[in-house]
Amino acid sequence: MITRIITIVGFTAAIAAMFTLEFMGRRGSSRIPTAGQWLGYLMRSRAGRALVLLGWWWLGWHYFAR
Amino acid sequence: MTAQETREPGRPVAARWPGGRPRPVLGTLAVLGLAGYAWVASGLPPFSGRALVGVLIPGAAVGLMAYGRPPERIPAPERLDLTGFSYWAICVAALLEWEASAFRDNSLSWHPSLTALIDPLIQPHPVRGAAFLVWLLAGWALVRR
Repeated sequence: MITRIITIVGFTAAIAAMFTLEFMGRRGSSRIPTAGQWLGYLMRSRAGRALVLLGWWWLGWHYFAR
Repeated sequence: MTAQETREPGRPVAARWPGGRPRPVLGTLAVLGLAGYAWVASGLPPFSGRALVGVLIPGAAVGLMAYGRPPERIPAPERLDLTGFSYWAICVAALLEWEASAFRDNSLSWHPSLTALIDPLIQPHPVRGAAFLVWLLAGWALVRR
């Protein structure tokens, strides 16, 4: 049972860290990019855009179609 | 100098379709339409052809918009601060590794995957519909990048 709790804490910590980074990135002077900024940077190329959009679509398929 | 040139990089001026002025009524109607679609699509039985079509349609629409007729895009930054981005990379890698180790252990009760944890949470139709709507809006946000 303890391993299950550790697992959940691990997922929660990773996701909470991402929210923290997003919050910090939205402060004007921060060097940390927001999720939108680094995703936008990755999508500057056609291949990068395709990969990011494919990842988005996969999430929808994974959680809502199966 | 246009609004496009004066905006802060990475920050939108206003939601608008190409070359147009902001249309709050149209935007509200669009969100309501997406919410209706999310409600219907999220109620389709999993592992069915209809559920697959329910996610294929937004995927095709986003693909067409992204490559065919994109809306006014929020300019991407010219460069990323490597240190700042590395924090994101570490978090994403940690999440993926944690998920991969769940599959490697092959014991969902001891080491559940993120999917196994999230699926029960989004089973109620209103929650599932809201999650579907968030997914649709995320797709729209990506098209604008």
